[in-house]
Amino acid sequence: MQRAINGLKRWETLLFIIFIGTVLNNVAQSPAYLNPNNFINLFQLSIEKIIVAITMTFIIINGEIDLSVASIMGMAACIMARLYDVGVPLETGIVIALASGALAGAFNGFWVAVVGLPSLAVTLAGLVGYRGIARIMLEDRSIGGFPGWFNAFGQQPVLGSLTLGIVVFIILFLVGAIILHRSAFGRYVYAIGSNKEAAIYAGVRVQRVKMTLFIASGMVAALAGLLIAARFGAVRGNTADGFELDIVTMVLLGGVSIFGGSGTLVGVGLAILIILNLRNGMSLINITGNTQTLVIGVLLILSVLIPNWGRAVQTWIMRQRLRSAELAKGGER
Amino acid sequence: MEPVLAIRRVSKRFDGTQALDDVSLELYPGEVHTLLGENGAGKSTLIKIMTGIHQPDTGELLLDDKPISIANSAQAQHYGIAAIYQEPMVFPDLNVAENIFISHQNRGAIMRWGNLYRDADAILKRLGVTLDVRSPARGLTLAAQQTVEIAKALSLKTRVLIMDEPTASLSAHEVAQLFKLTRNLRDQGVAILFISHRLEEVFEISDRITIFRDGKRISTGLAHEYTIERAIRDMVGREMESFFHKTLSQPGDVVLSVRGLARQGVFEGVNFDLRAGEVLGFAGLVGSGRTDVALALFGIAPPDAGEIYFQGKRVNITSPEMATQLGIAYVPEDRRQHGLVMPFPIVSNISLPTLRRYINRIGLIDFDRERRTANEFRNRLKIRSESIATPAGKLSGGNQQKVVLSKWLNTRPKLLILDEPTRGIDVGAKSEVHAMINDLAQQGLAILMISSDLPEVLGMSDRILVMREGRQMGIFSRAETTQEVIMTAAMGQEAAS
Repeated sequence: MQRAINGLKRWETLLFIIFIGTVLNNVAQSPAYLNPNNFINLFQLSIEKIIVAITMTFIIINGEIDLSVASIMGMAACIMARLYDVGVPLETGIVIALASGALAGAFNGFWVAVVGLPSLAVTLAGLVGYRGIARIMLEDRSIGGFPGWFNAFGQQPVLGSLTLGIVVFIILFLVGAIILHRSAFGRYVYAIGSNKEAAIYAGVRVQRVKMTLFIASGMVAALAGLLIAARFGAVRGNTADGFELDIVTMVLLGGVSIFGGSGTLVGVGLAILIILNLRNGMSLINITGNTQTLVIGVLLILSVLIPNWGRAVQTWIMRQRLRSAELAKGGER
Repeated sequence: MEPVLAIRRVSKRFDGTQALDDVSLELYPGEVHTLLGENGAGKSTLIKIMTGIHQPDTGELLLDDKPISIANSAQAQHYGIAAIYQEPMVFPDLNVAENIFISHQNRGAIMRWGNLYRDADAILKRLGVTLDVRSPARGLTLAAQQTVEIAKALSLKTRVLIMDEPTASLSAHEVAQLFKLTRNLRDQGVAILFISHRLEEVFEISDRITIFRDGKRISTGLAHEYTIERAIRDMVGREMESFFHKTLSQPGDVVLSVRGLARQGVFEGVNFDLRAGEVLGFAGLVGSGRTDVALALFGIAPPDAGEIYFQGKRVNITSPEMATQLGIAYVPEDRRQHGLVMPFPIVSNISLPTLRRYINRIGLIDFDRERRTANEFRNRLKIRSESIATPAGKLSGGNQQKVVLSKWLNTRPKLLILDEPTRGIDVGAKSEVHAMINDLAQQGLAILMISSDLPEVLGMSDRILVMREGRQMGIFSRAETTQEVIMTAAMGQEAAS
């Protein structure tokens, strides 16, 4: 166990070191960096992705993936905007949009949990299909002109200097961490992700856990879609297009295994901080967006390689020990 | 004559289990050499070493007297070693000829279909079979698919052909065909390592026989030097090992009654009663339906006919959760797959089926209480580990099994189903597990124990139910039976008088 914990810690420690490094570099580049407003700004610019990364963490630890989240974000925003456009009160539209996200998640969950299809295929279909709904809703139009209170949610602070998106993130992160690491549900999420069969034999209701996760993922994605609508003050058919890969990147960089069963929400939190600061810092020293993406790609590969290297080295050492022990025994004969 | 392939003093250990212990075996060209042994005797491990799936810890393989090392199956093929299995591994969408030549990479960049079909035909002719080389493999019978595999092996100039239970799913007529083919190959100088549990077949086809038990080679000899009795004796071992004394007790009320239990195509007509404090052994070969009966009782694969009465009430068990709530616990055969979440610490593995009991008022896991339970079981069952935080994957087989037992005993069952409870664990842990089973029965637990280890079944059980090919062959009481009687019933032999 100690070694496993250390292994886990090693990656998170490494993340922490990278994080400190990026912060130090950024401070050296620009003294204005440490200004809290700069930090809040950093968060604010990707807050919707960050929020969805929390539910994605659950899904990936559970051994599944949800590629349809960005499309659900777009779909929910478009449904809300279209309803508003035809005269439905915005409050009603918001509720319906959130419900559509839950429904889309339940649809994904049905095929994955009940029918048993691979989530990669099911949610890839969702990625295409829900985006289709979004585009049908708005076609080539852009709908904006929402009431001031709605746009304010995306742009103005609601608590101290924090925007609604950041408050939602903090709450979801804390609640998520407690559920994942302290509750029976969280334990089931890990158990199913590590060994689904053993979980079934232990009487864990695997279908129910998976269904819950996909519904939560859909709903949180819908919420994030509405937040992005509020922040931009307008919605288009391609709102949030392509966000799913950034979200999955945050989760994997946080040390969550793509095969399921391991990872922590703290790791994902650190990965989010690193990505934000790294991009910010690289911008400060005039590294272009494309190069930034490349750097994050390299980090991602390392996040997968380093734990595997650790394991490979361990197995190799064990083998050598066994071999020399056998040889010693043979010598005595 | 020189052996084609010689296995010299090969040993292989998997965490905690000595799968092969200093085993030697020679295969000569033009012989059918049968490997006999109970489940877990080490046959599969040997095959996997010969085909490059596993590497031996010590010992060596000699091909034509030269040491070789086989790192993967491509290399095994290169050395002329091929294997066919009970389930043929053909590509269903390719046709017969393509399947035969699937492993040939040096037939040129461009497919010359005419040549391919001609060569495939020639190989099948050599084998003396008629099969349309253009028909897709999908529609072929199992036997025909096996023929394709044999043709494939022949096309690769195979010198050593391993046949791992090739007859298990064949009809009598198909077996006869397969044997004709096998003899044909043998006469062409191929060394054949044959594995089967059907003894009458073994005596029909073999030139020589080697018997394994517990990872060791017990005997090798010409087939006619063996009788069925001797083969069985060598396979099961004469001595009852160092079994402790089973405490005989007065069984209590009937806990479980099963009437006419069946599952389409898997098992049928299973009838028995099991009382509190009683150990009912389930004997039979792998695939005889023993585990399937257990899975039906535990709600994993519910039966489609028959009745189950639990503590006098008719029950319809449809999920493991329901079975657990009734008071049925199942310790599965495959700890790695079904028994444990390997990366989880001991403590989380033990609490997994009962996690809801460890929830405090605000809905979170009470870690203290969870740890206390785990520590109690660690002491009671003498689980040897650094602490209860040690991941299950780091434990030896015996200690892993104790964790699985803890996990299920903590559900406070009335009926404990044990599937191969001592498979793959060392002798010391084995006798501890046996003592534990005995204690639990003393405390009034009804125990259903599936085991392929005959001395274990005989030593531990009050009564023994024998299954063969999905059917119940009879229930024998401990006092009036012997290993030979059980083995004969399991193998479908007439009882030796």
